[in-house]
Amino acid sequence: MKKIAWVAFFIFAASCLSCANTGGIYQPASYSFTIKIPAGWRKIDNNRYLFVTKESPFLQYVMVQNRPISRSFRNTEKKLKTDMLPEEAAQIIVDEIASDQNILNFAVLDNTPAAIQGHDGFKILFTYNDQKGSKFKTLYYGFIKEDTFFNLRFTAADQVYFQKDIETFKRMLNSFQVIKAKAA
Amino acid sequence: MTTWLSKFFILLFFLLPLGLTTGCATLPGSNASLVSDKILANEDEIMLWQKSEEEQRVLESTGLIYPHPELEDYLNMIIAKLQPQSMPADLKIRVKVIKNVYLNAFAYPNGMIYIHTGLLARMDNEAQLAAVLAHEMIHCIRRHALRAFRRYKDQPAFLRVVEHTLSKTKGLQDIARFMAISGAMAAISGYTRELEAEADRVGMEVMAAAGYDPREALSLFDHMITEIEQEGLEEPFFFGSHPKVRQRIENLQNLSASGYINREPRIKNSEIFLTKLAKLFLDNAGLDIRQGHFQAARRGVEKYLRINPDDTRAYFMLGEIYRQRGQPDDAQKAIKFYNQAIFLDPTYADPHKAIGLIHYKKGHRALAKKYFELCLQLSPDSLDKAYIQAYLKQCAQSGEG
Repeated sequence: MKKIAWVAFFIFAASCLSCANTGGIYQPASYSFTIKIPAGWRKIDNNRYLFVTKESPFLQYVMVQNRPISRSFRNTEKKLKTDMLPEEAAQIIVDEIASDQNILNFAVLDNTPAAIQGHDGFKILFTYNDQKGSKFKTLYYGFIKEDTFFNLRFTAADQVYFQKDIETFKRMLNSFQVIKAKAA
Repeated sequence: MTTWLSKFFILLFFLLPLGLTTGCATLPGSNASLVSDKILANEDEIMLWQKSEEEQRVLESTGLIYPHPELEDYLNMIIAKLQPQSMPADLKIRVKVIKNVYLNAFAYPNGMIYIHTGLLARMDNEAQLAAVLAHEMIHCIRRHALRAFRRYKDQPAFLRVVEHTLSKTKGLQDIARFMAISGAMAAISGYTRELEAEADRVGMEVMAAAGYDPREALSLFDHMITEIEQEGLEEPFFFGSHPKVRQRIENLQNLSASGYINREPRIKNSEIFLTKLAKLFLDNAGLDIRQGHFQAARRGVEKYLRINPDDTRAYFMLGEIYRQRGQPDDAQKAIKFYNQAIFLDPTYADPHKAIGLIHYKKGHRALAKKYFELCLQLSPDSLDKAYIQAYLKQCAQSGEG
């Protein structure tokens, strides 16, 4: 998660020099979803995820991903399966994050079923500290459709930035649409 | 800062722990050390100690230390038994445990030894533990960090190889960041076969002198290599890569023919070891479950159950191992262990829910409903209450419940 933030930070820093702010419906070429990116937020996308931030990846970011369920995780050898219940998928995500030794003081505040644009999934709210002691809060939605695991997460520096931008994330979540379950 | 000074600090950064694993050139008490016998007599050694203390402060602020004061006391008691009389008075050897499933232990030059829960969980007795601690202790006493620093400081190509190895070593990339890379490199087998063999030999001598059965060092290696091969683990840590493990086993077998190995007494202290580490076995198994190491987790729980045969949580964990692994017949095995947990404690909510999940996924909605309802009765404020309520709703809609 920290690595992602650093990579994003450098791309973000570079993009600030040349890119205008985004806004509007966005469909990455290699993805199987559409989503509305709020005005004033900048996007960084690559083959693995769409990443948007308003001020800096270290203050707040939204990450959207469609990954093949066969793709291995970094910190757990557990695998997602097409017939998994949302709770079972949520457990694997929790295990993946809890096993990441860059994530300190990981605490799950909430883990519940959630419907994401009609898809049965899960919602996890958790907090953690990075290596420098900064505290972050993440709201993580996920669901499995066919052979793809879709996930949308909002991470922000706790507490100010989380509260400030959570409604924007929820609007993004509501604009999210699966076109076809083809993983990037 | 001058160029030379910059280079010096970079070398400190990368080389600090390397020396810790470069083995022991001589037996304790001999005078063949490459450095002065007076600890902290040299500027570079003072720097190494300061760097060590800084890294330890960072490491210990991360939450990675396994909090178990009674266990630390036990480990430090073993260290006290192992310490040779010729040890420098100002070098204090201490041990702490890191929450990590990988098979590793490493030492800093200032005497701080860290050992992973994963390595401790695979041991069978105190003599095996003494073998590892003796090995690490010798690195401190013989000041191998300083020797390596002086040996490698003019070899940048070697540094690049070590850095590359570190970046490719599963399980170390993350922890390395906390220790500014150098501490983690203590665990990399970037040292010669000869030095490693010497470290093992000296370690065996030290443990034998303390009354421990040195043959247990060999047993530990045998045990580890079996487990590494069975599970296809990537374990380039304390035990080294496969060829090195094989070589070290041969070295230890050769040592078995030597005279001191037959000395009496031959302490193993299996019972006290298992009792002192029981909680760790279960906690480490929990970490193994999280990481999907189901076979290792099962071994850990079974070891715990030999000490605490009526522990409900342990049976629940065995059930979880099989349910989460999800191979053919695993559901039935899981239910057997969940039922054992319920038999021992009928008020335990978690196994009820787990059995409910298995039935729910099989489409046995009436049975699932029964277990979910029992779970909620036993634990109305369960953290996964929302999921259970959703399952119950589905059961009701199916009409089967």
